[in-house]
Amino acid sequence: MIKAENLSKIYRPDTLPVRALDGVTISIKPGEYVAIMGPSGSGKSTFMNLIGCLDKPTSGSYWLDGQEISQVTADELAFIRNKKIGFVFQNFNLLPRMTALRNVELPMLYAGVNKQKRLELAREALGKVGMLDRLDHRPTELSGGQNQRVAIARALVNHPKVLLADEPTGNLDSKTSEEIMNIFTQLHKEDTTIVLVTHEPDIARYSQRIIHFRDGVIEKEELLLSSPTTPEQRGHF
Amino acid sequence: MNILESIMIALDSIRSNLFRSALTTLGIVIGIAAVIAVVAIGQGGQATVMGEMEKIGSNLFAVYTDWRSDQPRTGDEFALKDMEAIKEQIPEIKYISPSAYAYSQVRGGKNVKSVQVVGVSADYAPMRNLNMKEGRFFNGADEQGRRRLAAIDEGLAQELFLKKSAIGEQIVIAGTSLTVIGVVKQEGSIFNMGNSQYVYVPIRVWMDIFPWNYISQIEGTTYYQEDVQATTEKVVTFLERRHHGVTYMSQTLDQQMEMVGNITGILTLIIGAVAGISLLVGGIGVMNIMLVSVTERTREIGLRMALGARRKDILTQFLIEAIVLCLIGGIIGMTLGVGGAYLIAKLAKWPPLVSWATMLLAFIFSAGIGILFGMLPANKASRLDPIEALRRD
Repeated sequence: MIKAENLSKIYRPDTLPVRALDGVTISIKPGEYVAIMGPSGSGKSTFMNLIGCLDKPTSGSYWLDGQEISQVTADELAFIRNKKIGFVFQNFNLLPRMTALRNVELPMLYAGVNKQKRLELAREALGKVGMLDRLDHRPTELSGGQNQRVAIARALVNHPKVLLADEPTGNLDSKTSEEIMNIFTQLHKEDTTIVLVTHEPDIARYSQRIIHFRDGVIEKEELLLSSPTTPEQRGHF
Repeated sequence: MNILESIMIALDSIRSNLFRSALTTLGIVIGIAAVIAVVAIGQGGQATVMGEMEKIGSNLFAVYTDWRSDQPRTGDEFALKDMEAIKEQIPEIKYISPSAYAYSQVRGGKNVKSVQVVGVSADYAPMRNLNMKEGRFFNGADEQGRRRLAAIDEGLAQELFLKKSAIGEQIVIAGTSLTVIGVVKQEGSIFNMGNSQYVYVPIRVWMDIFPWNYISQIEGTTYYQEDVQATTEKVVTFLERRHHGVTYMSQTLDQQMEMVGNITGILTLIIGAVAGISLLVGGIGVMNIMLVSVTERTREIGLRMALGARRKDILTQFLIEAIVLCLIGGIIGMTLGVGGAYLIAKLAKWPPLVSWATMLLAFIFSAGIGILFGMLPANKASRLDPIEALRRD
């Protein structure tokens, strides 16, 4: 699903070069659930931006769903973000003026889905995260956990190939965090590819594989085949 | 994303900052209102003047001696015989009359007034569309017979004979006694503000009363308006052939109307342009607030980009927001402008003229301001880096 080869990113290459990412090679299979860990400045955010098609690498290659990304135009990148990637952010990034339903509709607006279909799909996605009774609430009228559920519904609504979650529990208490992580686990069971960035070891442990970044390179990888990721072990949400 | 949805998003964003949006559009509102009102009042005034002149008759022309010539006037420039000759020789002419003016005291009843005594032929009344309130205007026979008759203006009749009918009464001008046979109705006209009062007497009688005075010009009309210019020139050549050494000039009402039209047009344009400057200022206000809005909504822009918005989508969104803002201002401005024009027109007593072309132009203009001044902020928004934008607080 995701394949990076010798991926590098250098900021300010002319004046004060910062080698944020230094030749990272990685492969993530379809349906895999991967966590990326590392201290700040380790290059994990840069890596997320690259695989999220928000940025282009200085050198190296990156394939998403079989497509080489590093050389496409800005508009094509927007198209790929829209169709193939679902973002979940630490601070939810919901538009405060819009209801939950309208927020979830947003990605479909840029996909050119008609109003009727948009409403239908947005409802369906909100149903999936248990928010059907809060369709017309605005972000300020919802709790942090509820907002993150709306954000997850928004990330899912265009049926992306990869779900990218950047510290999705960073603004949530531990109980709510657990609820949100259970949603990810459920999505993983339904064959969604998930890449999770976190600095919390407990959260990373929900995944199948943890990749540790340090100083722009992969420090080590941890396989968690016996990890407590199954709902049977974690309880239902 | 289609236009309608962009408009909905724009309205949403305008609504969420209602007070600020209202203040921003105020510049556009005032600008458009001022332009519409000025143009409407200007065009209304012009139409009124034109209408009045049309009422006098646009087939009208006048021929007079060249006032720039150094030759002294002898009084022989216009002879009564000329009139008949002209009418005979130039068949396009419908009416023709000499006009001779003398300012004199008129005594009637127990009152005395100083007025213009005009010597004209019987053709004058139909030519100038004079309507009679009472009695009649003198005819060709009266004129030929040198009957001492007069038609007087309504206002003068009232001042001389008060509530009594003036018909059959005697008036005395410079020692000559005349019988009033008609009272001329005075139409309310913007040209007749001073309520000028005339006494019309047959030209031959006038020449008897004022033997030292002479005919100052001749006036006439043609059957068809398209003949006016050519006919007037014919009259001038004809007169110059008959009176050697005299140069004549002419003017048609058409020419005068054109001149008035030009002058009012230029005035409207100048005042309109001044009003237009406020539109420019309004546009800068819109640009300013849109720039603020882009900064405020950096995160929103970053998010939209992350969700798949292309630069073009962001550009369109902000551009449409600016256009919608200006159009709302434009529409409110048009309403106020039209209202203001009607109000002022009512005070000035002429109809305001709000043409569809003006409205359409104002509409397009406000949209144009939106595009012009929205471009810079929209462009700024579309060039944001999504990563930077998402990171911003």
